[in-house]
Amino acid sequence: MSRATTEVGRTGPPAPKPSDQQGLEDFWRVYDAHYEEISNDAMTLLADDPDFGPVLASMTQQQREEQNRESRERMRRAIAEGEWDPYFSELRVQGFGYAQMGVSFAGWFRLLSIFRPLLSGFLLDAFREMPDRLRSAIGAMDEFIDGAMAVIGEEYLRAKEEIISHHQEAIRELSTPVLQVRDDMLLVPVVGVIDSTRARQMTDQLLQAIRAKRAKVVVIDITGVAAVDSMVANHLVQAVEAARLLGAHAILTGLSAEVAQTVVRIGVDLSKVRTTGSLQDGIGEANRMLGYTVVRSQ
Amino acid sequence: MAIPILKQGPYLIASMQSEVGDADLVRLREDLASQVGDVRARGLVVDVTTIDVMDSFTIRTLLEVVQIGKLRGVDAVIVGIQPEVAFAMVQLGLRLDGVATALDLEEGLALLGRQMGGSADDVR
Repeated sequence: MSRATTEVGRTGPPAPKPSDQQGLEDFWRVYDAHYEEISNDAMTLLADDPDFGPVLASMTQQQREEQNRESRERMRRAIAEGEWDPYFSELRVQGFGYAQMGVSFAGWFRLLSIFRPLLSGFLLDAFREMPDRLRSAIGAMDEFIDGAMAVIGEEYLRAKEEIISHHQEAIRELSTPVLQVRDDMLLVPVVGVIDSTRARQMTDQLLQAIRAKRAKVVVIDITGVAAVDSMVANHLVQAVEAARLLGAHAILTGLSAEVAQTVVRIGVDLSKVRTTGSLQDGIGEANRMLGYTVVRSQ
Repeated sequence: MAIPILKQGPYLIASMQSEVGDADLVRLREDLASQVGDVRARGLVVDVTTIDVMDSFTIRTLLEVVQIGKLRGVDAVIVGIQPEVAFAMVQLGLRLDGVATALDLEEGLALLGRQMGGSADDVR
């Protein structure tokens, strides 16, 4: 299940932390020294970005400056004082927020691919004569940037999973109605995809209706069920058995040629279940069981 | 606690109580076995309306009661299985194969009446 959005930034897997402290400090010192310039250059380049361009344009100058200031302070506290939690928390909040806003994940690659050359340039200038320190500073930069991407990636996944979960919930809520066709006869038209939760809901509703209406026959129509695998077949058999325990005979109707072939192929035993190909035949059978004859009046 | 067995015409009606224990079930089986012969009953209704949980022992005992009845020429029907209980039973694969079931006492007696003078398919 998805985590509550109020917990964004406080839950989640442990964040990656850059390991070479000297390299990290060197990297930060150079970044910090050129922070304004790097931010301005980045924002100019991002103005045309299909994802971040509009986002930046929608912010006022003041908002952008404030966000920059806060970002800088969080990074400083993380790198210089080891306070990584606020930094990663904020990164998660941003990642999740932008995911929900519809900013593409590719946009983040583009954003960070703007930062990397900018930062590398300045690192190269600073440590040109010191190849070892240059190497570790660039290593720290890579770890830093890759770590940020990993966190943002996780948040994107989480945002997507939440959307999927909402959709699944909505589909389940398309309730399967139990209709009364005659005094003793109920009809359950099943449409769409049956998963365990939906099957349970349907069976529960059916049993309650059998008891309430004192139904003797139940027609379960699966014309609208796209695919029947062994799990779905199992759910249907269980519904039929449960109905019988309440004294109602169930007829499974609407088995298409494909479904019939699938059932035989996967070896589901429906021998004890009354089945018909069409709903019409099923209703006819149900009428007969209840002793009704349908006569057309001229 | 003994499970009450009532006589109604040619039928015996056993009402299971919700606090029934294993010993009570065994006693019920014995009581029914003898009473069925004593009163020359022709039909047996076992009412489990107040039962919240049907475990495998309870079900096995019910099946045995029905079998004993059949051997002595008595039709039996289990009535009053609650929706939650029915659902739990099918999920756990606890079956009542070959045993007639009905919604409640009224339906159960009606079913027995039909069985003693009607076709098996007739559900009226």
